[in-house]
Amino acid sequence: MTTHATLQGRYFDGRDGRRHAVDVEVAHGRLRVRGDGIDRDEPLAALTITPRLARTLRTIVFPDGARLQVPDADCLEVWFPHRNRLEALVDRLERYYQAVALAIVVCLGALVAGYLWGIPWLADRIATHLPARVEAALGDQVLALLDRTDLDASALDPGRQAELSDRFATLAAGLPDGAAVRVAFRGAPSIGPNAFALPGGTVVVTDELVELFADDRQLDAVLAHELGHQVGRHALRQALRGSFIAIAAAFFAGDVSSASAVVVAVPTVLLQNRYSRQFEDEADRFAYAHLAAHALSPSWLGAALGQLDADLPDDASLAWMSSHPATAARIAAADAAGADFVARHPELADEEPDVVLAEEDEEAVDGPWCACCDDTDDAGDCADCEADREDCATDGSCVDDSDDTAAGDESDDACARDDAADELDATIDCEADRDACTGAADSETDADADADAAVL
Amino acid sequence: MSGRMQHPPIVSAGAWPEPPALPEPIAVVPTAAPPRVPHRFAFDGTAGEYFRIWIVNLALSLVTFGIYSAWAKVRTQRYFYGNTRLDDVPFEYLARPLPILAGRIVAVVLFVGYVLAGQLSLWLQIALALLIALATPWLLVRGAAFRARYTSWRGLRFRFVPDYGQAYVRYLWLGIPLVLTLGLLYPYVKARQKAFLVEQHRYGGQPFGFEATAGQFYPPYLIAWAVMTVWIFVGTGLLTTAVIALHRPGAEPPALLVFGWMALFYGGYFVIWAFLAAALGNLVYNHTTIGPHRFESRLQGGRLLWFYASNTVAVLASAGLLIPWAKIRLARYRAERLAVMAGGSLAAFGVEPGEDVDATAAEIDSLFDIDIGL
Repeated sequence: MTTHATLQGRYFDGRDGRRHAVDVEVAHGRLRVRGDGIDRDEPLAALTITPRLARTLRTIVFPDGARLQVPDADCLEVWFPHRNRLEALVDRLERYYQAVALAIVVCLGALVAGYLWGIPWLADRIATHLPARVEAALGDQVLALLDRTDLDASALDPGRQAELSDRFATLAAGLPDGAAVRVAFRGAPSIGPNAFALPGGTVVVTDELVELFADDRQLDAVLAHELGHQVGRHALRQALRGSFIAIAAAFFAGDVSSASAVVVAVPTVLLQNRYSRQFEDEADRFAYAHLAAHALSPSWLGAALGQLDADLPDDASLAWMSSHPATAARIAAADAAGADFVARHPELADEEPDVVLAEEDEEAVDGPWCACCDDTDDAGDCADCEADREDCATDGSCVDDSDDTAAGDESDDACARDDAADELDATIDCEADRDACTGAADSETDADADADAAVL
Repeated sequence: MSGRMQHPPIVSAGAWPEPPALPEPIAVVPTAAPPRVPHRFAFDGTAGEYFRIWIVNLALSLVTFGIYSAWAKVRTQRYFYGNTRLDDVPFEYLARPLPILAGRIVAVVLFVGYVLAGQLSLWLQIALALLIALATPWLLVRGAAFRARYTSWRGLRFRFVPDYGQAYVRYLWLGIPLVLTLGLLYPYVKARQKAFLVEQHRYGGQPFGFEATAGQFYPPYLIAWAVMTVWIFVGTGLLTTAVIALHRPGAEPPALLVFGWMALFYGGYFVIWAFLAAALGNLVYNHTTIGPHRFESRLQGGRLLWFYASNTVAVLASAGLLIPWAKIRLARYRAERLAVMAGGSLAAFGVEPGEDVDATAAEIDSLFDIDIGL
């Protein structure tokens, strides 16, 4: 502890590889090194010392490049006070188990927070500032790529295409902020029945999907879902989020093990899929409200999914691994929304797919229905609907969903903005804007960057 | 690959004293090789110690948005180098955090740009990928020079003598005949690259020598390719039979087939890769010399496979918390299996001239995972 301590060290003169066993002392502010043919003394101020690190040797470096290795000892802190302050602090943290425990909490907390909020926030900020033409170019590129690989020209009769395009135009007419969307028909033998929202506002519908559905209202429901992706700019946001996950994973993979490719690839995909499922939920909820606004029951989405499911069964037990929520759950949610719709619009009950629904509550029929009710617990309880709608416009309580907490505070603004709008539109805008404000403040002609991010 | 992170890039020892003192006594046969004294590498790091360093590093890097990661890297490297001993003298990592931070910022900007470019435009990403491919040999040389410059043993630094012309020949130009021969030249190209990396290193005034011929690289690769081919044929056959046998007609079996095939393929790849890594590691080290000294490496494919497999499972199951443990046990194993067969004093080295190297290339190549693992 005192400056009178003597350390045994090994001295290398920096000119050859010989090791000299030496004794090291400090007297009058000078370091004295003696033994094995070495006799040096240098002022302490001219020397540097490597920071303390676990049990590794400390190295005292002389101005001429000679190096003296000594075991870590308390007297070194006395001889070289206030050196390497940052690393000295870090070294103390490493030695206190409370600090280590705190570090574990910080790391796990930061990982979870970064994943749940950080990456979505950052990606959505970037999506907001990306010029529309970049997105459009991106969409054209994706479509061109798909046209070369998986897609053929549509074999649908032109008259049928025109008819379906009209239905699409009708549905798209009510989009907030005049989002410029269009529909494209393609044959896709390798993909099968599907639809996807591309950047730039294009919604691709496969012939197989059109032929699958018995009723065009099923197709309307699917298109409404895709419009939900467009309005929410889901594909672009998903692509950006995926990129950030990949970047983060690459940082970790740098020093995991040589199996890093596998170690990282699996969690990366699983993590990205969770974001994707959130977007699917959001698009489904948009579809319920949008269909209702066009006097179509949300149950049509359930009917469409049911028919797709019969075509392509999936497995609910793997839901947490999937990019889409389990189909059965989506159908159930759509049917619940449909029941809610019929409760408010008994006169449209016969428009329901094929389910007979009890007509009970007629109170709210004359008022504009409120999207806020659609997927919360109280499907039948529409006495509050009027009130709920007010909430929509004022305090943003229509933020019905979901785990997307980050979106919560922002939706206030979006909803409040609609306050002045006329009633029916207000609710729809509110719903639509909620989607929009969870990420990309203004939803114009937005789209999906990633071909698979926005598929049905 | 982790080897590069954990180890001094080339671990050497050598001597250049006067002409290697010929064995004075019992040199009955005049051509007898000088007796060699084995000096094993030793690794003293422990998982507990390194866990503390690692988790504090990670936490500080996170709360400083990555700024601290440069200090973290230096601390990590110093821990691994400082715990690796040869002839009872530890290695030292001399790089300073600030240059690393500067290099890291450049690397991250490039990397983020590259990833985002991929989302915006395929052509932009292809152009960037080409640019990176063109820069790869240069990056490799600069990265190796950086690591050598800041690695020291016995108070003497290593050096990597840059030869950009050779780097472009061996890492880029040889790619053309490689493609034209459908990959058959791969072992040859690999041999040329390893030879380049070894021979450009210097320590204590002595160049490293590489004695393996390209022909010696063929058996490991040919065996690996043969085993993989047989594995895939047999496996696919068995799988198809199983699927046909188990499935009722009418139901479509593709999911099981695809999953099974992927598991088969990656499992086989993993196993073969471990054995190949051991064989190549041994081949390279066992034919590396410096002055009168040689190396002896005795990696075992089975052990490596066990380490990689158990590390992978442990890291995944612990949400990453066992990463330090995984790295330490691998470093210990690698050190234990490596020795210098000294043909003279390990102390007799001179000083190697050299100048500082900036960290940018080293950071870029570690981020883009351009691997020169020896």
